[in-house]
Amino acid sequence: MSNKFIGQSIKRREDKRFITGKGRYTDDIVLPGMLHAHFVRSPYAHARVSSIDLDEAKAMPGVIAIYTGDDLADVNGVPCGWQVNFRDGEAMREPKHPMLIPTGSTAKHVGDAVAVVIAETKDIAIDAAELVMVEWEELPAVAAPADALLPDAPKVHEQFPDNKAFDWTFGNPIEEVDAAMEKAAHITELEFVNQRVVPNAMEPRAYIGSYDETFDKYTLYTSTQNPHLIRLLMCAFVLGIPEHKVRVVGPDVGGGFGSKIYHYTEEALVTWSSKQLGQPVKWTSDRSEAFLTDAHGRDHATKAEMGFDADGNILGLRIKTVANMGAYLSTFAPAVPTYLHGTLLQGLYTTPKINIDMTCVFTHTVAVDAYRGAGRPEATYLLERLMDLAALEMGRDPAELRFQNFIPPFDGVEQPGYQTQVALQYDSGNYEAVLKRGLEMLAYDDFRKEQAEAAKTNKILGVGFSTYVEACGIAPSAVVGSLGARAGLFESAQVRVQPTGKVSVFTGSHSHGQGHETTFVQVVADKLGIPMDDVDLVHGDSDTIAFGMGTYGSRSLAVGGSAIVKSIDKILEKGGKIAAHKLECAEGDLEYAEGKWTVKGTDKSISFGDVALTAYVPHIYPAGLEPGLDFSSFYDPANFTYPFGCHIAVVEVDKETGKVTLKRMIAVDDVGNVINPMIVDGQIHGGLAQGIGQALFEGTIYDENGQLTNGSYMDYCMPRADDLPMFETDRQVTPCPHNPLGVKGAGEAGAIGSTPAVVNAVIDALWSAGHKPKDILMPLTSERVWQAMN
Amino acid sequence: MQLSGTHVLNAPVGRVWTMLMDPVTLARIVPAVSSLEQIDDNQYKALAEIKMGPVSGSFSGNLSLLNIRENEGYSLHVKQTSKIGNADALINIALKSLDNDQTELTFDGDARLSGLLARTGQRVISGVANTLTKQFFANFDEALIHE
Amino acid sequence: MQVEINVNGKARKAEVEDRTLLVYFLRDTLQLTGTHVGCDTSSCGACTVHLDGGAVKSCTLLAAQADGCSVTTIEGLAIQDTPTTMQLHPLQEGFKECHGLQCGYCTPGMIMTAADLLKRNPTPSEEEIRFALEGNICRCTGYHNIVKSIQWAATHTTKPEPNQQEEPIDADKHLFTNDVTTGEVVETH
Repeated sequence: MSNKFIGQSIKRREDKRFITGKGRYTDDIVLPGMLHAHFVRSPYAHARVSSIDLDEAKAMPGVIAIYTGDDLADVNGVPCGWQVNFRDGEAMREPKHPMLIPTGSTAKHVGDAVAVVIAETKDIAIDAAELVMVEWEELPAVAAPADALLPDAPKVHEQFPDNKAFDWTFGNPIEEVDAAMEKAAHITELEFVNQRVVPNAMEPRAYIGSYDETFDKYTLYTSTQNPHLIRLLMCAFVLGIPEHKVRVVGPDVGGGFGSKIYHYTEEALVTWSSKQLGQPVKWTSDRSEAFLTDAHGRDHATKAEMGFDADGNILGLRIKTVANMGAYLSTFAPAVPTYLHGTLLQGLYTTPKINIDMTCVFTHTVAVDAYRGAGRPEATYLLERLMDLAALEMGRDPAELRFQNFIPPFDGVEQPGYQTQVALQYDSGNYEAVLKRGLEMLAYDDFRKEQAEAAKTNKILGVGFSTYVEACGIAPSAVVGSLGARAGLFESAQVRVQPTGKVSVFTGSHSHGQGHETTFVQVVADKLGIPMDDVDLVHGDSDTIAFGMGTYGSRSLAVGGSAIVKSIDKILEKGGKIAAHKLECAEGDLEYAEGKWTVKGTDKSISFGDVALTAYVPHIYPAGLEPGLDFSSFYDPANFTYPFGCHIAVVEVDKETGKVTLKRMIAVDDVGNVINPMIVDGQIHGGLAQGIGQALFEGTIYDENGQLTNGSYMDYCMPRADDLPMFETDRQVTPCPHNPLGVKGAGEAGAIGSTPAVVNAVIDALWSAGHKPKDILMPLTSERVWQAMN
Repeated sequence: MQLSGTHVLNAPVGRVWTMLMDPVTLARIVPAVSSLEQIDDNQYKALAEIKMGPVSGSFSGNLSLLNIRENEGYSLHVKQTSKIGNADALINIALKSLDNDQTELTFDGDARLSGLLARTGQRVISGVANTLTKQFFANFDEALIHE
Repeated sequence: MQVEINVNGKARKAEVEDRTLLVYFLRDTLQLTGTHVGCDTSSCGACTVHLDGGAVKSCTLLAAQADGCSVTTIEGLAIQDTPTTMQLHPLQEGFKECHGLQCGYCTPGMIMTAADLLKRNPTPSEEEIRFALEGNICRCTGYHNIVKSIQWAATHTTKPEPNQQEEPIDADKHLFTNDVTTGEVVETH
């Protein structure tokens, strides 16, 4: 099997519709008779709905219906898909997340919806929503995770007075870690906040619910990363409607970064109301609503300690973290600070004893869930900040300290996978190689000389390192099931060979920028030895695709791609039987290459197209073999995949103003085999920008009343073109030993490694000039950096 | 949002006190307030038009006087709602008689904002508060001259 | 009120509310949905179009303010050869060539902003490109490949040979249902 397309930077097939303005996002879709919804939302972080007066709003011409929580008493809340129990066995606390807050109940974050107005136009719906009179009784609120645990903290849910959703311990017993730390010659301690950030996909969420009475069938168009998952959650847990009566379509989706994984109340509401009204109902979030209602990311307050012996070998790691869940438990929320975070705290190091202690709390803020990297950036931030700080404190070189503590190379084939102290077994890794390459690209020795010179001036320089490992290709169902997942995390794929030999591939993965329409087709065309033009990819529609778990956790190619390969294997096996029959030989005498079966050692062959035609016109056909050439497969991975890499940031800090300029961003990533280098580089670039964004620009600011005070692009600082340098990327390839493509996943890597690299670089710059801060609160604004020097 | 200010008025404390207790005068000197209607003892219904940076709106709500100490001061509780968000402020006003028939008026308090105001108005709000404070004292001076 | 705006070379007349923003006139009235809305504070640039030849954020203008003006949207940037084939603008080629887009949502605004830049400054430096893009937010690409795409376009102002072209691009049907080759004004619904 030759690789004509795999490994090539094939230009994306999806681009032509986007560059000509012909992408079709949910808000672009107009259905006949479509109505428009607008929500009345709580202006308070915590307030009781005393009464709702709809009279004036209902009287407005063009208003079709207004629903409040009292109309939805029979409808369930949106569910949580992952259960993490308290360490003492108490079940995770799962407060209802209602569609709309009923009268007498309390809104629990700014933006919690109390009513929905449905009208003939969006403008009318907005105008009428302003006439809905809600009488609020404002109550005290808490927004910061650590504050939620204070004895007199306002309660988010009356029934859970300590505001805890669950707590969790992982790794080695604390006594063992304490004992290891007692032997340490040096302990690096760091208290920090991994601040809350907003995913900010550029396309705001949008949904259209439509009910067809003739077929008793619903259609939901939704800006989602996983249409089938939304269908399952909405049908089985919220609305109680049968799944075969619901079609969920995820059309073109303008980015997700995690925020479009979850099942949101608005999705169920437009679907529900379309049946009540017999007309399609559309809702499109505006950016302000997105800030208030999209699931946010991160939000940890951590105290971490790393112990070293006199030679600099790591002896132990002890962590205590409070993680913010927000007001409700979002779909994957409990997994993020626990099994996607605690299990990654081995990092790339041979740390013998690790213990993590998490307390996950409710606050009067919108839910926190997975955001690009989900738990793994938090773990990497923690470890990599500790490593650079430890090097500074011990007078060691940060790169040297890492080389000394790295897990030695292992390929997962000759050498076994690496068993960590925190449950996971890494598949393959070569950590020294990525750091070595990174140092080469940096020209490390030259840099240190330059830095020493710069330290004498007002523009000081710093370098920050971050070497990370992540767990992707989420996930082996049995493993995640044992960890609390309420779903399997396999993927499905159907490969349908048409009678003329053209191929339609149906995948349960969903592309919202990742380029599946190109990369998946590269794989299929190569495996079948046919032109890419003969293959089309179909995704995002629950009526045409049997099932799917969707796209998140850098899983599409590793899991969804593997499912496709399984189907192709079945196609080739059956095709081989047909070919052998036509060529009058034994199957074992055939080999498949370049789109045809050939009798070994002869020039007798039959093409893929001829076999396909024969499968559908089975006149001369093996006895007992079914006609047709169409296979579905489900692939459940044997393990996570473990991409890793080295990110290095170089910053210049203006001593007069504290302004940080990112001069260089170097990324050497190992994501296993690469199908399309251009697309992988693009994924890394985007991740880097988001990670740099968290380090330097982004972060929510809540006031003491739980109001988000920077809920717009005027106030929330998104990274812009002139904030960033050209990125310097390179790659190493350590194939994944346990999936057929040897791929590991590249979607999140950039966002995982870059944040600590940038912060480390600023700290390094300050130490070079004689200031010795341990930490500066992210984002590293000029003011905060200046204060660290003054 | 913290609110505070101090200003010396050219009038004896008794006169200042009378003006502070008179809704008609108050409506005239409190900036942005377009009407003040008494609904109960020391309870008023107030309408105000305020522009804060990118957002502007008309506010309606209640204003009540608490903790009234003649010639010494009172607390002002303002609860306003609008399409662009709500404000809830408690402001303590204190009077101090000075020589030369002058009176020092000091106020300080805290305003809690919600909704769009809180989200997009915060950056500019202290500037707006300063402007309103200046206007308030200027209007007061003006009223003292003309009455 | 009634407005008449020349959009992508065709006069379009329609009744709009006084408060209708240009972007909603384009998206809702004309169903030219290539122009996107990414924020509500005129900060993200996804709605960028050309008004009388210069880039504007179409969410900051009322449709009424564009009355009598010419507007070019992303749908009108390529040269339409036949109803089903078009020659892409060099920037459109550049974005594809250099992987300047991922989810595609900011792309129309990016391309329209970049087209305005290249008109004013045909050979911009990297710094000038980044500065010009300051009003456009992309969350996917980290801007790296957008900068490269614009640099590519700046050096490829002439068309590639036809045999290097991709297959023809299907025309957007709703753009051509109201054909105005006769030059007469077309009423939209």
